[in-house]
Amino acid sequence: MAHQAHAYHMVDPSPWPLTGAIAALLMTSGLAIWFHFHSTVLMTLGLILLLLTMYQWWRDIIREGTFQGHHTPPVQKGLRYGMILFITSEVFFFLGFFWAFYHSSLAPTPELGGCWPPTGITPLDPFEVPLLNTAVLLASGVTVTWAHHSIMEGERKQAIQSLTLTILLGLYFTALQATEYYEAPFTIADGVYGSTFFVATGFHGLHVIIGSTFLAVCLLRQVQYHFTSEHHFGFEAAAWYWHFVDVVWLFLYVSIYWWGS
Amino acid sequence: TQILIFNIFVNLLVNFLQGLRSNIPSESPTIFFATPTKLVSESNAPVEYMGANKVPDLQRIFQASEEIPVHLKRGVSDRLLYRTTMALTVGGALYCLVALYIAAQPKNK
Repeated sequence: MAHQAHAYHMVDPSPWPLTGAIAALLMTSGLAIWFHFHSTVLMTLGLILLLLTMYQWWRDIIREGTFQGHHTPPVQKGLRYGMILFITSEVFFFLGFFWAFYHSSLAPTPELGGCWPPTGITPLDPFEVPLLNTAVLLASGVTVTWAHHSIMEGERKQAIQSLTLTILLGLYFTALQATEYYEAPFTIADGVYGSTFFVATGFHGLHVIIGSTFLAVCLLRQVQYHFTSEHHFGFEAAAWYWHFVDVVWLFLYVSIYWWGS
Repeated sequence: TQILIFNIFVNLLVNFLQGLRSNIPSESPTIFFATPTKLVSESNAPVEYMGANKVPDLQRIFQASEEIPVHLKRGVSDRLLYRTTMALTVGGALYCLVALYIAAQPKNK
């Protein structure tokens, strides 16, 4: 490391790609074993290995960037490209579920009663909890932007407060959505309405949890002085991801909750 | 390695006792920092908010020049976690192969 003549990052050998790959193997085979032989040992082992891999791999990236200084401008540019490409792939992931929803809802089959929502389905009122959820996520978009500006201006206390508020709003959304799921008059098994509703909103909820976790890690790092006013890409990546989650919700709300009712 | 880690901690203690200074390193020229951190005396706000800045110390630890890979550079706790993860990886992979072998056996009527 000491005498490289370029600005790029030649990483140290790392065991985490291997452990991550084995974790994926264990989780997928474990799923099959659970389905056919009712044992969750393999799948659980895979999940534990996944968590250990994520923790250590991302810990090492923080060490390489914040403590060893490897994240020079060209390296950071690569990280930015990477995050944008990843979020783009997630956009396509959700696009598929929206495609499924519109395929079924634009031309409802006779089996559904030729209408949408299908006969027998009482959809959730879009102007009750779903509207509150929309307000919560939009507000969290404001607070995360506040956090970003606080970091850029070196306002430590404000950055911590606004980031905490963002995470709390994310958790509030999750809690509200969980109660909605519990109280809903229809289930995932209720035909194509149930399938499209719960798979699309379910994956979105998972992404809210992932995004909240990412922001929580950023909060921990902000408290520990990892971010400087010029260099805080980890936070920016989390903020981008959070905005993406917000936008997906807006599409879900307008398409499934509002138009779809 | 343990002596080296001990030396690092002695250096940390000495630097801490000498008080917070600006970030110009006193010994190795290979140590560098991304951006200078604020001096305590420069801040108008209360001295500490939610803990003191330990990043310069960590930068010193991780930029120590021995050839230890980054995932083991913190010593014992890193090694412990690594070995646990590796044990689960190898053990899990073997368990998985056995389970799949058994699952592939035809059911006897």
